[in-house]
Amino acid sequence: MSYSRRQLVDVFLTKLKFNLKSEASKTYLGYVWWVLEPALFVLVLYLVFGIFRARGTPDFVIFLVIGKIPFLWFSKSVVNASNSILQARGLINQVIISKAFFPLLVVAQDLVKQLFVLTLMFVFLIWFGLEPNLAWLYFPLLFVVQLLLIVACSLITAMITPFLPDFKYILSTGMVLLMLMSGIFFDYREVILPKHQSLFLANPMARLLTEYRRILMDGQPPEWLPLSMIALISFLVIIALLRFYRRIDTPLARRVL
Amino acid sequence: MTAATAQDLLRLEHVDFSYRQRHSLFRVSDYPAIRDVSFSIERGESIGIIGRNGCGKSTLLRVIAGIYQPDNGAVVRACKNISLLSLSLGFDPLMSGRENAIIAGMLQGSSRADVEARLDEIIEFAELGAFIDEPIRTYSTGMRSRLGFSVAITLRTELLLIDEVLSVGDAHFKQKAEAVMVNRINSDQTVILVSHATTQVQKLCSRVIWMEQGSVREIGDPESIIQHYEAESVSAAHKPGKPTIAS
Repeated sequence: MSYSRRQLVDVFLTKLKFNLKSEASKTYLGYVWWVLEPALFVLVLYLVFGIFRARGTPDFVIFLVIGKIPFLWFSKSVVNASNSILQARGLINQVIISKAFFPLLVVAQDLVKQLFVLTLMFVFLIWFGLEPNLAWLYFPLLFVVQLLLIVACSLITAMITPFLPDFKYILSTGMVLLMLMSGIFFDYREVILPKHQSLFLANPMARLLTEYRRILMDGQPPEWLPLSMIALISFLVIIALLRFYRRIDTPLARRVL
Repeated sequence: MTAATAQDLLRLEHVDFSYRQRHSLFRVSDYPAIRDVSFSIERGESIGIIGRNGCGKSTLLRVIAGIYQPDNGAVVRACKNISLLSLSLGFDPLMSGRENAIIAGMLQGSSRADVEARLDEIIEFAELGAFIDEPIRTYSTGMRSRLGFSVAITLRTELLLIDEVLSVGDAHFKQKAEAVMVNRINSDQTVILVSHATTQVQKLCSRVIWMEQGSVREIGDPESIIQHYEAESVSAAHKPGKPTIAS
């Protein structure tokens, strides 16, 4: 049997709720970890770069937080999604369900958690002395663009892993590389040669982090062209992949025995 | 696909299905699991599938359920919902029995409200009591299959595919499940049952398919086919052959 869109959405939302609940029940502190983990992380950054001043200006902690938190959201979602289809093997061998359901579910789970993390991030930013300004209103827009990028990348990694189990090693190395290339710990204008800067910014994560900092720290509106390119390409990739998932449905089911 | 006849709930026409096994980057082989299988099932019929381990019974159920599309041939279905019950059951080990029952019911085509309305009935039939709110990972295999069976039988799917699920419950539950199955079969429930328990197959099924190496070896009335199957199993056990486990 196949499900109507409404049924799929219902199952999706129900499973999302139960998954978040069961994930929280794995630890003693449960839901608290959703904010405690990033809080500890910011605390470490604050100790090393804020108090001991290992490097740079006082707002270096702010610079790091705005870089690291959106990057963590991206890397966690994409890595978690890469396992999602293999992990759902029980269900896949039980019911006819689009395999794209599983990476999307993982992305939704991480999205919910990210909303809590962001609330915390803004509390920190203000606490560290950043003044809210009108450019902050662009934030939801950047957030949606990043979400589109995450969905597109997650659909890709989730599809590759069942066919190529070795991919998970490549992916974890790739994430380290991407982290280093996205300018979390440095300002590219100071580190990258001017002639290579446009190449650096061709990496969508580097571009997104730059734009996050531009609106939050500099109070400037984002650069529209690169942002809309990321959004458009991600959107087209998502549409194409959802179709492709339908085509490889049986081969995927056979792979995850 | 052509429509099934008014009587046929399901018809398989020359179905082939093989698994692709990848041994390394460049070495791939196809393993045929189902070869040229054709049969049909009428509404209200109950069919048993027997055969030795690895003869393609579980794969056949997945092809029937639509989880795998056949490589060749066609599966013509005239039913709206099919429920496949196998030992893995697709439960999430971290979620509670109650939550898993809700998801399983929704995946069988019921709305969340419908499942929740019948949840007490499901829990009672499964005899899980307070365990229903514990995570599934704490359940025994028997408890899991009791829950899966209860969801499927309570929510009434048109075609019930049962893969060995009844073999793992205790004697008391097996009896209860068999009784409710007989009841359902009498009132037009269609069932395909894969089982090694030939007495159970004989009790529940009106027709039996004997599968061997992915093909239908014999199909017909339970008594004679089970007799042939058991006779051959006994003689095969006594025949000296190649050892199956390499030392």
